[in-house]
Amino acid sequence: MLLRDTIHTARKALSTNKNRSALTMLGVIIGVGSVVLMTSVGASMEGLILGQISSIGAKSMIIFPGQQEGSQGTVTAGFDSLTFEDVDALSRLKTVTSIGPGMFVDIATAIYGREETEPRVIGTVPNYFKNRDMPAALGRTLDDRDILGAKHVAVIGSEIASDLFQFENPVGKRIKLGDLTYTVVGVLEPIGTQFFQNADEFVFIPLSTARSVTGQKYLNMVSLQSVGDFDLAESDVKSLLRQRHGIVNPKDDSDKDDFIVRTSKQANDILGSVSLGLTAFITTIAAISLIVGGIGIMNIMLVAVTERTREIGLRKAVGARKADIMLQFLIEAILLTVIAGIIGVILGIAISGLTAAIVNKFLDTYDFAVSVPAIFLALIMAVVTGIVFGIYPARQASKLSPMTALRYE
Amino acid sequence: MPSKKAPLIETIDLCKSYFNEELETPVLFDINLTIQEGEFLSIMGPSGSGKSTLMHILGFLDNPTSGKFLFRGDRTKSLNDDELARIRATRVSFVFQAFNLLPRTSVLDNVMLPLLYHPTIPASERVERAMHAIATVGLTERATYFTNQLSGGQQQRVAIARALVTEPDIIFADEPTGNLDSTSGIQVMDALQQLHDDMGRTIVLVTHEEATARHAERIIHLKDGRIASDSKKFKRVRSNGKGKLK
Repeated sequence: MLLRDTIHTARKALSTNKNRSALTMLGVIIGVGSVVLMTSVGASMEGLILGQISSIGAKSMIIFPGQQEGSQGTVTAGFDSLTFEDVDALSRLKTVTSIGPGMFVDIATAIYGREETEPRVIGTVPNYFKNRDMPAALGRTLDDRDILGAKHVAVIGSEIASDLFQFENPVGKRIKLGDLTYTVVGVLEPIGTQFFQNADEFVFIPLSTARSVTGQKYLNMVSLQSVGDFDLAESDVKSLLRQRHGIVNPKDDSDKDDFIVRTSKQANDILGSVSLGLTAFITTIAAISLIVGGIGIMNIMLVAVTERTREIGLRKAVGARKADIMLQFLIEAILLTVIAGIIGVILGIAISGLTAAIVNKFLDTYDFAVSVPAIFLALIMAVVTGIVFGIYPARQASKLSPMTALRYE
Repeated sequence: MPSKKAPLIETIDLCKSYFNEELETPVLFDINLTIQEGEFLSIMGPSGSGKSTLMHILGFLDNPTSGKFLFRGDRTKSLNDDELARIRATRVSFVFQAFNLLPRTSVLDNVMLPLLYHPTIPASERVERAMHAIATVGLTERATYFTNQLSGGQQQRVAIARALVTEPDIIFADEPTGNLDSTSGIQVMDALQQLHDDMGRTIVLVTHEEATARHAERIIHLKDGRIASDSKKFKRVRSNGKGKLK
């Protein structure tokens, strides 16, 4: 029997029992659909997280005061271990450059005229904008004269600009941060969230100004860039800080340090482990659903074999070989899973598109993403399910003796 | 010197038993039978006499337990499942009591079914051959009908068309009128007789009805698994009543 005829026969058998075929396919549709949906959500989440950490360039690192707890957890609150002297020492290292220290300033409100908003105020230096890739959309960012003169100037994020000024150009206007007045010298381009903080709600003032306003002697972060080999630069930074802080840590055990060095490599590693976890989770769901779907298909195919015993007997009586019958039932099972797989993929894409549209209303950096390899993998798994769970009923059908099958009531 | 042509079918001391675990149930004993090409033969006997079992063996649906079964002079014992299937696809065909047509399928598709498994007839000839077979049983206008839209007699004629379509060496008809009223039964027997008379087909008819069996030229009586009589005494009875006993 030609393969074309076998496929035609299988298709006809399935279309004869449309309702049953549809119900049989449900398990595989859900299985494949959930794989596509989960991988799509996973890809979107990965894009979201990558967006958060991409602010650290490949050559950049950020040092925070604090302590590593375990492999992922960190504690930064209450640490005053990162000082201005550390920054001076770091600036003498040959393996790092563009050192940009930063200090959080506890100011609750920013006011312009009658408009008021809640900013996150950071005192910093020009290098910070370079290291974090934050260019000005209007005016300029901070410059050395602002730092040297401890001027009362501010560079504001795009959301602060729209909150306080709406359609007015903020550059040159004066805003109140706490009790003091600052002149806006620039507005940053919209950045979105970085490290899960909305960078568009930041207000930057010169570090020297922040220091005099707060009297704080320690820093909350230092961003810098490597020169040449990145690993060497990272190791130099750690050695220097350990030496300065009197920490003996020859085994590079980050739990013992009073500072945390964050690099894009680490962030990628964390993302990698998250992705791995997500992949394992999705694979488990997929495997369970496809096994359940497969068992459903096997069940129905076994019922079909019993129901069509006389048909099998007839086909054998008119010359069908064992292989013809086996292939016919196997192709029916595969057709079922392939059709179910395609429906599952379409549904999965549709639901993830809908999810993305809804989430995007709240999180503007969540983009719709579909993993093409995952779609192919899901379809291949569906076909494999059809083959694996179709073989047993198909074998049962092919083994029937024509005479016994014809007598079946 | 011209060699004597081998009979179409020959059995020598053919026996058949069914086995249920250790229990042996013998069904056929020492069947010695020869069927020549072009014969119209009836196998008669009461229920349980083994006539259907004999037909299944002669039709390559089942294997004998012992004895010889020769088809055109060739022994068939060594044939495997696929070889048996090939013979069923090309050499023999069946008409069953219960018609055994595919439901919710057209007459044409039902008649074409054996051609799907025929190793040499090309796909391009299927429709033409099937339509020719359908025309032979007078159902051309019903070719696109679903089989469940036809009367019992018409359905059995579709089954006859299906048996004809591969142009087999022999057609086995197992109680072909068993599920039909008398008028339809006569039509079906006429159709079979026509195949023999006009087209020279070899037909083996299995029946327990004397009247049906009389359509054949030769009647074999089976009793308790043995051939009780093998007679050519009857002149065929035509369904129009013109036939008579010799």
